[in-house]
Amino acid sequence: MRGCESKSNTAIGFLTVVEHTEYGLFGGYLILNLAGRPVEFHCTTPLKPNRAQKILYGPTLNDFLYGELIGRTLIEHGRICPFVVCTDLEPILAAQPYVSTPLVLVLDDAMQHSTNPTQAAPAGVVNDEEFTETKVYRLDAAHRSGPQLVGFQFGRNRLAAPVAAEAERRALLERFSDWAETFDLVEPFQRIRAAIEEARQAAQ
Amino acid sequence: MNTLRPISQPAAAGKPAVMGLEPVAPPQCFGGTVNIDLPKCLPVNFIFNAAAVGRVVSLRTKPPKVQVKSFSFAGSTAEAAVCPPAERSEPAAEKADTPASYTRLTPSRDVIKLGDRLEYVLQPPLELLLADSNLFFPCRPYAYQYAGVAFLFPRQAAILADEMGLGKTMQTLTAIRLLIRQQKIREALIVCPKPLVSNWLREAARWAPEITVMAVEGETAKRRWGWSLPDVPLRITNYESLLRDEQCLAARSFDLVVLDEAQRIKNPLSATNAAVCALRRRRSWALTGTPVENSPQDLVGIFGFLVPDLLSPEMTPTAMRAAIADYVLRRTKEQVLDDLPPKLIHDVWLELTPEQEESYRLAEEQGVLRLKSLGRQATIRHVFELILRLKQICNFDPLSGESAKLERLEADLEEIVASGRKAVVFSQWVGTLRHLRKRLAPFAPLEYHGRIPVREREAVLARFRDEPNYRVLLISYGAGGVGLNLQFAEYVFLFDRWWNPAVEAQAINRAHRIGAQGAVNVVRFITLNTIEERIDRILEEKQTLFETIFAGEGWAQGVGLDAAELFGLFQLALPEAA
Repeated sequence: MRGCESKSNTAIGFLTVVEHTEYGLFGGYLILNLAGRPVEFHCTTPLKPNRAQKILYGPTLNDFLYGELIGRTLIEHGRICPFVVCTDLEPILAAQPYVSTPLVLVLDDAMQHSTNPTQAAPAGVVNDEEFTETKVYRLDAAHRSGPQLVGFQFGRNRLAAPVAAEAERRALLERFSDWAETFDLVEPFQRIRAAIEEARQAAQ
Repeated sequence: MNTLRPISQPAAAGKPAVMGLEPVAPPQCFGGTVNIDLPKCLPVNFIFNAAAVGRVVSLRTKPPKVQVKSFSFAGSTAEAAVCPPAERSEPAAEKADTPASYTRLTPSRDVIKLGDRLEYVLQPPLELLLADSNLFFPCRPYAYQYAGVAFLFPRQAAILADEMGLGKTMQTLTAIRLLIRQQKIREALIVCPKPLVSNWLREAARWAPEITVMAVEGETAKRRWGWSLPDVPLRITNYESLLRDEQCLAARSFDLVVLDEAQRIKNPLSATNAAVCALRRRRSWALTGTPVENSPQDLVGIFGFLVPDLLSPEMTPTAMRAAIADYVLRRTKEQVLDDLPPKLIHDVWLELTPEQEESYRLAEEQGVLRLKSLGRQATIRHVFELILRLKQICNFDPLSGESAKLERLEADLEEIVASGRKAVVFSQWVGTLRHLRKRLAPFAPLEYHGRIPVREREAVLARFRDEPNYRVLLISYGAGGVGLNLQFAEYVFLFDRWWNPAVEAQAINRAHRIGAQGAVNVVRFITLNTIEERIDRILEEKQTLFETIFAGEGWAQGVGLDAAELFGLFQLALPEAA
């Protein structure tokens, strides 16, 4: 595991993945200071799982691609270790076991109602019934459940974090409570998507 | 996977285990084994046999390699100095609100390097940037004004060509303010027509109150002192002073030079054009509501200042349009102001009174005869003299004082005044306005033109605006075409027409601007079978020309009031000498 060069208590990371129908998945990782200005940006070249990978990884594919491969790699490339990394895609939380920086999920209205598995937010504790309805023999069931999440209010934003990350959640609220009202944690993801599009066009 | 079932149990957790899966209902005899790494349940490889051929096929799930591109931004550090909210001054921009859509900074086409482009793309949206910079705004800008600021901010060269009344001044000052606060520029210079210097000072105090602004004009010694002062973030001067101080400015350089009413440099051979092009600068912006007044060649002159060699007179209009696309932002009121009342234009076609018609025919016959008799000696000046003479007759018969336009105007004004509304009447001649004042005496008209002393003009406007007894303002294109706010007038009469639609639009926009309460009715008087009708045809073509370049419509070839067309108004060929 690569480490960051320096830990910052005044920087926040934003990590998302953009799926392009033709090229595949692009990951983008933006580190902002508290004024909202960009400090670092990292993006991946496109990643496209082949058919064999799709079949063999099954429902674990998104967690693996978004979290372990893209998320973990991007966070490890950051020179600055932000206080927290925000993501708007649940599968990216699968990177958490591999990185020391806490990850939180930013929820917005669209996520609450989405049917897309990469966008639908658990928004709280995972419902056990969801899994009793699935096939008994699915070996990935335990993995699919992922970490149980707790939703919480952060100023004007609604976030979710793993239940196990209670200490990190408290630290986040304490450290940034003054700023929570002025932060729009959804907006930086729009910047990442625009930057990925810019990089994609430049590559062409 | 759903058609497979386990055929063995995994080994101890934490160690790679081998599990077997077999088809639940195999259509053929296939056997397969998936090796899975626990506890993550991720497949390592998959082995299966194709029974038909007795061959074993192995697939190894090698994870794809992720390549990362990284960018860091020198301008920002993780430890940004930001005041906590309690210590901030409260700007008028409502920073806590999330707008329906943010205005983003987008790099211009001439920013090539990906890292440079991303530096703009990854900046906070303008609404957040302005709110976070503790900037005071007297009122909340419109969304299109944010877009204008976002357009100017990243550009080294730009034309803001918004229609009059949309706030080019405010957008420019806000962009300058932001650039100064982000330390991207230190010294900016605004060059504008002399009468507008005070307006810029006033607007700067309103929209950029924390920035030190200096007007460099007046006597030579005062100007030299103004140029010599160090660290003045924003200077404002006029074109005439700039011409006089050309040598003095040769040694200076600016981070940004803004030309207001940039159509002043449309002639590439003019001294003004040469003077502004000689200014040493890093960024060049031009502001004009009328970037093309007569022909596409006007743009060549302006772009000589902005991006030398981008345009040439030989370029086709289509090529010109493509070349300037990334440098020009042009919006009309109809496009951006949903709540701006409509502008209703009525062309009123009038027949001359018999007396007028007789005078007109006589004057035209004599004029054409004279032009013909001059032969090769005839010049454009001779044509102009005849046109002006004929247009004056279209306004009033010089012998009898009869006027078809006046009859119609009187009828319209009676109705307007009776309904408690206000009207402005434009003419290019003070003489015509004076004549109108006498004939329209029952309506107590006010006058605003070159013969009204400057010190009295503000009072005239105040009376027209505030006093209900004054409902008609007679105004000349020259004195009142720019810089006036007459949005309380709902009727605009163009008693006679100007030479190009841009000047007429300036006049109309005195009333049709932000703050207008109701629809603005524009009445254009045109007399039938006269020079006015012929000129109207050319004006329509000019309007088509403008819309072609700035609205992407088809191109109309060969429009414009050139010498050949001026002679053509009288079915005369252009003499070689002309």
